[in-house]
Amino acid sequence: MRAFLAGARIQLAFFRAYPDALIPFFTAPMFSVIFQLIFHHAGRTDLTGYAAIAPVFIALWWMALFNSGWTITIERWNGTIELLVAAPASFAAVIFGRITTTTLAGVVSFGETWVIARLFGTTVTIEHAWEFVATIVVTLAAMAGTAVAMASLFVLARNAVTFSNSASFPFYVLGGILVPVSLLPAWIRPVSSIVFLSWSADLLRAGLRPAPIHHFAFRLGMVGLLGACGLGLGMYAMRVILTRVRGSGELGTT
Amino acid sequence: MWYAVVSGANDYWAIFTLKSWVFGWCVRMISQVSFFALIGKLLQSDAQTQFFLIGNAVVVAAQAALFAMNMTTAERGNGTLSLLLASPSRPVLVFAARGIYVMADGVFSALLGLFILGPAFGLHFPFPRVLVVVPLTLLVGLSAYSFSTFLAGVIIKHRETTGLIVNSTYVTLMALCGVNVPVSFFPSWLAWIARCLPLTNGLEAIRAVVDGAAWSTVAAHAGAELLVLAVWLSLALATFGLFMRAGQRDGSLEYAA
Amino acid sequence: MRRVFTPRKREPVTALDGVSLSIPAGEVHGLLGPNGAGKTTLVKILSTVLLPTSGRALVCGHDVVAATKSVRPLIGIVFGGERGLYTRLSARQNLEYWGALYRLSGVQIKERSAALLERVGLTDRADQRVEEFSRGMKQRLHLARGLMGDARVLFLDEPTTGMDPLAAREFRTLIGELKGEGRTILLTTHDMVEAETVCDRVSLIDRGRILATETPRSLGTLISRFQRIDVEGAPPELLAAIERTPGVSSVSLQPDGSTRVEVNEEGATGTVLRLLVDAGVTSVRTSLPGLEEVYVQVIGERGLTI
Repeated sequence: MRAFLAGARIQLAFFRAYPDALIPFFTAPMFSVIFQLIFHHAGRTDLTGYAAIAPVFIALWWMALFNSGWTITIERWNGTIELLVAAPASFAAVIFGRITTTTLAGVVSFGETWVIARLFGTTVTIEHAWEFVATIVVTLAAMAGTAVAMASLFVLARNAVTFSNSASFPFYVLGGILVPVSLLPAWIRPVSSIVFLSWSADLLRAGLRPAPIHHFAFRLGMVGLLGACGLGLGMYAMRVILTRVRGSGELGTT
Repeated sequence: MWYAVVSGANDYWAIFTLKSWVFGWCVRMISQVSFFALIGKLLQSDAQTQFFLIGNAVVVAAQAALFAMNMTTAERGNGTLSLLLASPSRPVLVFAARGIYVMADGVFSALLGLFILGPAFGLHFPFPRVLVVVPLTLLVGLSAYSFSTFLAGVIIKHRETTGLIVNSTYVTLMALCGVNVPVSFFPSWLAWIARCLPLTNGLEAIRAVVDGAAWSTVAAHAGAELLVLAVWLSLALATFGLFMRAGQRDGSLEYAA
Repeated sequence: MRRVFTPRKREPVTALDGVSLSIPAGEVHGLLGPNGAGKTTLVKILSTVLLPTSGRALVCGHDVVAATKSVRPLIGIVFGGERGLYTRLSARQNLEYWGALYRLSGVQIKERSAALLERVGLTDRADQRVEEFSRGMKQRLHLARGLMGDARVLFLDEPTTGMDPLAAREFRTLIGELKGEGRTILLTTHDMVEAETVCDRVSLIDRGRILATETPRSLGTLISRFQRIDVEGAPPELLAAIERTPGVSSVSLQPDGSTRVEVNEEGATGTVLRLLVDAGVTSVRTSLPGLEEVYVQVIGERGLTI
């Protein structure tokens, strides 16, 4: 537990030390502005809820892709990974602490999009409060789990940089974070169903509509399940990393 | 830290082998354009789909031009900046040259997006007049690049904020420059600011070409973009040297930490 | 103990080939060897960062492989160099982080980091970013970091490399203090003088094998025995006289016109120098033998084969 908190605390210190970490707090609200402009210009103020939800996913996903995902790799480049391995604290716990902190920080963008919506003269009304909050909580957990997978896989995969630079918008499309998956071509929808973002975005949008939410438990369960898969994959990959650091010495400080 | 830092064409191609370019940058660019074009479907309007698709395809050229800023400020990071200052050629020109590849890549990607995704989303471009879009997109790229060079000079003392500036700027351009909503939708003071930025006028020229408007209209918008390019380029040439010398005076251009 | 590295697509590299070593508690033990000798590999294995290919290692009685969790709280690592620190954080932030990872309580962390910063002389720079530190300061911070866990056993891997002589000397004083506190220290270095001044015993390592374990005194003797003197402007008769002096092994003309006198007995240096000075030759420079040469001597004497 102390290792987890140590990771969390140092991650907060990193936020202050590296301006790049703040990028999503600037870009996400800007995207919110873009979406609001689009819907207001088209006279579709009923869609302002969409405009408020999508940027949050953009922020959270950016955090996972460009921040959390590089946690372990940066330890390698920094020369601290071996020191971390040799410390009594659990390596995994420290990494979890850092990734969880980063993920939770993304919640700030909720506030930002709410403010933007107000600036455009609309309010975002949450019709199903409990379901909305539950979805957010499970989504954050799934995001953290997926980020752990990224953090571990980025160390092991050779094309991590390419993936990281290019995996933002593809997942925004697949995840239906703004335009629901139901409007995508039929052949893409099966792929979307394994991206937890799509289940999550649908649920959040449903939470804003007065109509009752169908199959809530099942859909929430899918978010959780897919997130857990990400976490499982990440933990397995982390064990591989630790074995390689100590065993073959390959992943040691480079 | 989070972005692969490249320096010059050789390094650029070392990182972007053809395979990774195709699967990486290309996929992302196509997804980005599609993301916005799909909003047209949400709004159930073909006109909107066309508006979003053209806007977001062309913006890729501007985006790449801005990302080239990462390279110019990386010079300082690599410690090569001090060496550069000692060379006889004008620093701003050397800087500008190194990022050209990124910008050219962006223009190429933008055109690719336009001509592949356009038909994919059911748009019909009028041939052969649509070919004029090619030089217009190049114009947009160059215009954005001169803007980017100017900005690079401004922030050269604070290299660590580059990522933040680059990303904030390109998303702001996406909001302001008629990419997703026409500039006429803004209050006039904001529209005026937008027209002083790169991309806005060039994009209107491109839309005019596709919409079949009179060539005089196209020329007017293109001329405006050319003017914007000239102004930012002059500013860049004028101020870059100043920023560099200021940096030399207070030692902030030192070797990378 | 053996450690073989098998990098992908390359030939296997035996970094450690049958190393056997025993270091009693409270000793400062030097591991002296050129680059690539296997020093860092040995240190990494002992600090649980790397696994041996075969063989066993015990730190404070615990097996580094079987009882890793018991070993880790007891050791401190000072790998040194430019990396291994979070450069955009302050010195204090770095220490507090590692303190937490070494399972210290909040109060302990604050107290110990302040105390260690004081000890290594970084108190007035404690809240500055590490990226602004000089090499010597970073090295001191590395040492402070290694001590956050109040380690009984410290592993220092080439800690004074790149330091200026004054900083290096201060560092060595610190090591002496740590020894006085009863800590066991394994120090790797390729600097013979450092090995001689700081350590209780020194093991010479080369190509993954321990060649010999010496006391500093015998090491010092080796060093001074094989000194060389570079002379300029000595008349040929003087050089001939020097060559006849007992303890002088060779007198050779160098490409740049100077003459190199090599000795192989203790005290011979002094004799040669007196001869030169008495004759009025003052363009003289003495230098120590390189590590390789000492090795050749050691191996030659012991009849060891490489």
